[in-house]
Amino acid sequence: MSVPATRLPSPTPWGRVHSLATRLVEGDGPEARRFENLILALIAVSLVSIGLELVPHLPAWAKSALYVVEVVVVAIFSLEYLLRLIAARNKLAFVFSFYGLVDLLAIAPFFLAGLDLRFLRVLRVLRVLRVLKVQRRVLEKTVAERTRELAQQNAVLAKAQAQLREELEVARALQSAILPATFPVRAGCEGAARMTPATTMGGDFYDYIELPDGRIGIVMADVSGKGVPAAFFMAVSRTNLRETARHHADPGACLARTNDVLCTQNPMDLFVTVFYCILDPHTGVLRYANGGHNPPYILRATGNVETLDGAGGLVLGVIPGIQYPDHTVQLQRGDRLVLFTDGVTEAFNPADEAYGVDRLIDEIKAHGQGPSAALVERICGSVATFAGTAPQSDDITLTVLSWGPQ
Amino acid sequence: MNLRIEKIANVTLIVAQGRLDFSAAASFQAQIEQALAGAGGAGTAVVIDCEGLEYVSSAGLRVFLLAARNAQRAGLNFSVCALQNAVREVFELSGFSRVMAVHPDRAAALTAAAQKPA
Repeated sequence: MSVPATRLPSPTPWGRVHSLATRLVEGDGPEARRFENLILALIAVSLVSIGLELVPHLPAWAKSALYVVEVVVVAIFSLEYLLRLIAARNKLAFVFSFYGLVDLLAIAPFFLAGLDLRFLRVLRVLRVLRVLKVQRRVLEKTVAERTRELAQQNAVLAKAQAQLREELEVARALQSAILPATFPVRAGCEGAARMTPATTMGGDFYDYIELPDGRIGIVMADVSGKGVPAAFFMAVSRTNLRETARHHADPGACLARTNDVLCTQNPMDLFVTVFYCILDPHTGVLRYANGGHNPPYILRATGNVETLDGAGGLVLGVIPGIQYPDHTVQLQRGDRLVLFTDGVTEAFNPADEAYGVDRLIDEIKAHGQGPSAALVERICGSVATFAGTAPQSDDITLTVLSWGPQ
Repeated sequence: MNLRIEKIANVTLIVAQGRLDFSAAASFQAQIEQALAGAGGAGTAVVIDCEGLEYVSSAGLRVFLLAARNAQRAGLNFSVCALQNAVREVFELSGFSRVMAVHPDRAAALTAAAQKPA
């Protein structure tokens, strides 16, 4: 790095010359580059002129012209040699260095007129090496600088990414924490659920709500999309639904009211599919409404699997003022209710085939007689085995409810 | 996921092919928005032909929803047609087939677009 001469306190004439010499022959700036190019050009000119001298029977005027060229070249090379000598910290070392000797040999033949050493001038071609060496050094320096800058930027990015990942982990933990851990304890009634989140944060949720009249509200829901927006909308949906449920005895009215609220709190244009049912644990009467969710199944004590019809209601959060019709089904002792999200039926295997409803129904029929938790485990295991090495692209959520097991 | 835009008279036909899952949704949405912007203004029709569409996830459904809403705001006559069974099922389950026009095939969609200027 060169220090601008003007900033030095009253430089001496020698100081100025030394600074100029250093800038021209050792610097990296534009002046040094121009000087280098001049020397390169002169080397070329001088080599051509040496070649022309060898042409036999040259006219006198041409010989004079070549001599002038030689004088100019030697004058500038001599000046350059002087500058290098001035700039060199160890002057003796410079004189006897390889490039120092080459520089000297480039001009010496001119001054030693008595001897015919003109052939030595051809060694001027070696001077090109010096320029190449300097340019290589500049290039290496630039590459090293860029590499260092990149490494610094990478470190900053890695830190930001680690922080983001940490925050996502926290968000994911919060999301899991708001899912209920256990089904409300009621005589003759038991339930189990599991949500296996996809690699990116998803928006599935389930919920059990103990209503003021002693009935139990059960929710299965799936927010469209993934990541932080879906997780936020999931939390908003769950809170609204939970609050609304306490004030609405009918599931359809509860969904309608929740939908209206969600439509005003949905800046990202997401939506949520919701199946909401209310079970009377004493009578086994199940009332439900469906906002765009996969219809659940009932495994009857007889072994039949029935679909809860009434699907096709609009998803929530899109259009306000929608009505959701109520449906009622009577559970018999020993019946099982299976609620799920499309992460189950749309789990894909490496051959891009979906798990589908048929496999789900087969599992329910084959293993539905035991406790609810066992069926949940069984279905999750079956889906995982089916998917194999294929990445899990969506949350997989299941709730199983048994009524009247005695 | 692959998308092609065709113009038939004053109908903009968006031909969708492949699987519309979460990873394909953003690009699908951007292309649809572009197609809507170039549709020719209020009174013209936009049809999404889904004959080659094999799968739609919930993130994909959201793109259809946004398209229908944006088209409505721009005064365009929006419809979808030729849904494969799996996709039709998703449209029916989610209630989407109740809030947007769904035609059995391209010919039916084009006929409806010609008869009913928005």
